[in-house]
Amino acid sequence: MSRVAAKPSSPLRAWWLKWRFHINILLLLVPLGFMPKYFADAALFRGDAGIGERVAGDIQVGPWSLTLAEFRNEGPRPDPAGPMKAFNAALCATCAEQVKATYLRIGKPRSLRAAGVIFFGTPYRMGAIVPVPERTPIDAELWVTMEGWDGTMHQGSIPLSQASPATIAWLNKQGVKP
Amino acid sequence: MSKKSRSKLWFLVHSWLALPIWFFVLIVCVTGTLAVVSQEIVWLANPDIRASKPSDDAQPLSFDQVIAAIKRDEPQVIVRSIIRPDESHFALMVGLSYPDGRSVDAYANPYTGALQGISPAFDFQQFTRALHGWWLVPFTNGYSWGWYLVSLLGLPLLASLVTGLVVYKRFWKGFLRPTLRIRHGARIFWGDFHRLSGIWSIWFIAVISITGTWFLIQAILGDNQISISSEPIVPVIAREKVPLSAPGVPAPMIALDDAIKIATQRIPGLEATFAFLPLNAYSHLQIGGRGWYPLMFQTAQLNPYSGEIAVSHLLSDRTALEFVTESMRPLHTGDFGGLWIKLIWAFFGLVLSMMVLSGLLIWTKRTALATLNAFKREAKTQRQPVPTPALRAETSETH
Repeated sequence: MSRVAAKPSSPLRAWWLKWRFHINILLLLVPLGFMPKYFADAALFRGDAGIGERVAGDIQVGPWSLTLAEFRNEGPRPDPAGPMKAFNAALCATCAEQVKATYLRIGKPRSLRAAGVIFFGTPYRMGAIVPVPERTPIDAELWVTMEGWDGTMHQGSIPLSQASPATIAWLNKQGVKP
Repeated sequence: MSKKSRSKLWFLVHSWLALPIWFFVLIVCVTGTLAVVSQEIVWLANPDIRASKPSDDAQPLSFDQVIAAIKRDEPQVIVRSIIRPDESHFALMVGLSYPDGRSVDAYANPYTGALQGISPAFDFQQFTRALHGWWLVPFTNGYSWGWYLVSLLGLPLLASLVTGLVVYKRFWKGFLRPTLRIRHGARIFWGDFHRLSGIWSIWFIAVISITGTWFLIQAILGDNQISISSEPIVPVIAREKVPLSAPGVPAPMIALDDAIKIATQRIPGLEATFAFLPLNAYSHLQIGGRGWYPLMFQTAQLNPYSGEIAVSHLLSDRTALEFVTESMRPLHTGDFGGLWIKLIWAFFGLVLSMMVLSGLLIWTKRTALATLNAFKREAKTQRQPVPTPALRAETSETH
C-alpha cells in the first residue's frame, strides 16, 4: 500500500520504501542474537562455571597460595585510565582466615605500598582489575602480594604469558618487541 | 502555509513517528511493562521469594540474626549483602559467596533467617530489565549500543505526545466527554481508543519519554566521562585505621546491628533497608535506605572496626540538579512506593503498548491513503486541492 505512495525518484529512496518495515525484523534479531551471550555472561557473573573463563593456575605466595583465573579469556579492555585486564582469584582453603589482603601488579613491587591493585571480594571469589601499560614487555611477570593480619608480607609471581596468553597476543598486536 | 495544511503536516509527522519501527517500539513497551512487575511475577511463580510468616505474631529478625541463622545452616557460606525489599511480602535478598566460587543471590525468610532458595540461573527479573533496558546488547566499553537504541525512543515518544496533542484539537474536551464508539467499525473504534487512552496517559507518556530521554543523556555523559554527581569517591580505608592483630586472627569488626544503629543516628529519618558488607580488610561497610524523599537512597560508609562513619551521602548532600536526575530512574520504573504504584505503572504501560498497536491499526486503515493523497497534491503543485476526507475527519474538532 505505501509502496505506491511515491514514484521512487532515486534508487536509495526506492530501497528505503521497500525495506523500511524490515528494520523491525532486524531490530528483533538483535536480542535474539545476543541471548546466548547474555546467558553465558549471567553464568560467568554467578560463578556457575568457576571463578573465571580461564583458570591460569595456582600461585604459591610464601606459606599461602591462590588460584588465579582470567575473568574473561581476552586481552585488556579499553578504559579512560588506560587498558585494564580483569583477573579473579580464590584463596587456598586453609589460608582464607590468614590473609588480610591480596594485591596484584605487573612487575615486581618494591614495597607493600606499591603492591598494586587490591583484590575485592571473598576468599572464595575475588577480583582485581590490573592496568596493563601498552609498553609492557611480553616476558613480564604478574606479581601477587599477600599481607597477613599481623602485617607480614609474602610475594609470588606467574609469567604473564601463563596468566593471560590473550594479553600477550594483545601486547604483540600493539607492536611491543620482545 | 495555511493553518489547515500545517495541522495536516503535524498529523503526518505524528503518524509516521514510530512507524517504520513500530514493532520494536511495541516490544520495548511490552517488556517495560513486564519489567515493572517482574518482581511480582516471580513472587507468583516462585514460592522461594515469598516472606511467609511461621506464625501470626512472628517478628522480623535483625540483619545480624539473619546472618547468624544462615551461618548456622551453612557454616561455609559468606554473606556479602542483605537487602530488605520495599514490600514486606518479599523475602530478604542475600548475596552469598560459596566455596566453589559461586556468587549468587539467595532468598532468606525475614522471620526465621532460613535460606528458602537460590535465585535461578534464568532470572526473569534481570532478563526483562536487560531486554527492555539495553536490548541484551553487552556492555563492553562504556554503555552498550542497545542502551542507546532503546533510550533514543524517548525522543519520538515525546514528539508523538506533542504532535498528538497538537492534532487533537481541544483534547481537554475528551476528559469531559469520553468517546469510545464500539459499533461503528474497527477504524472508528481504534481511533477513539487511541485518543481516549492518549489523553488519560498524557502524564505517563510525558514521564516515560522524559525519563527515557534522560537515560540517553546519562549514557552520553557517562561515555564522555562527564560526572554531575556530588557523591564523594570513597578511597579504601587508610592503612593505619585498620588494626593489626595476631597472625591468623582477623581484626574484630563491630556488629552489623550496631553499625545500623550508628548510621540511623547519624542520618535522621533513615530506614536502613540494605547493608553491603566489607569487600576486603580495607573496605567500608555500607548501610543505606530511603529517607523522607522516597525516590532516592541515603547511604553511610563505616569503618567496620571502629564504627566511624567515613562518608555519608544524604538527601541534603544532593544538589537540586541531582534531585531531578536521580529521580528519573524510579519515576521510569515506578519502583518507589510499593505495589500500588507499580500496578499503576504497569497498567499505563499496557495502555501505552495498546496505543502503539492502535496507532498502527489506524495507520494501516487510513494514513497510507492520506499520505498517498498528500504526495499527489504535491505532484499537482497545488493546482487543485484534493479533498482528503480521512484526514479531515481526524484533524477536525468534532467527532
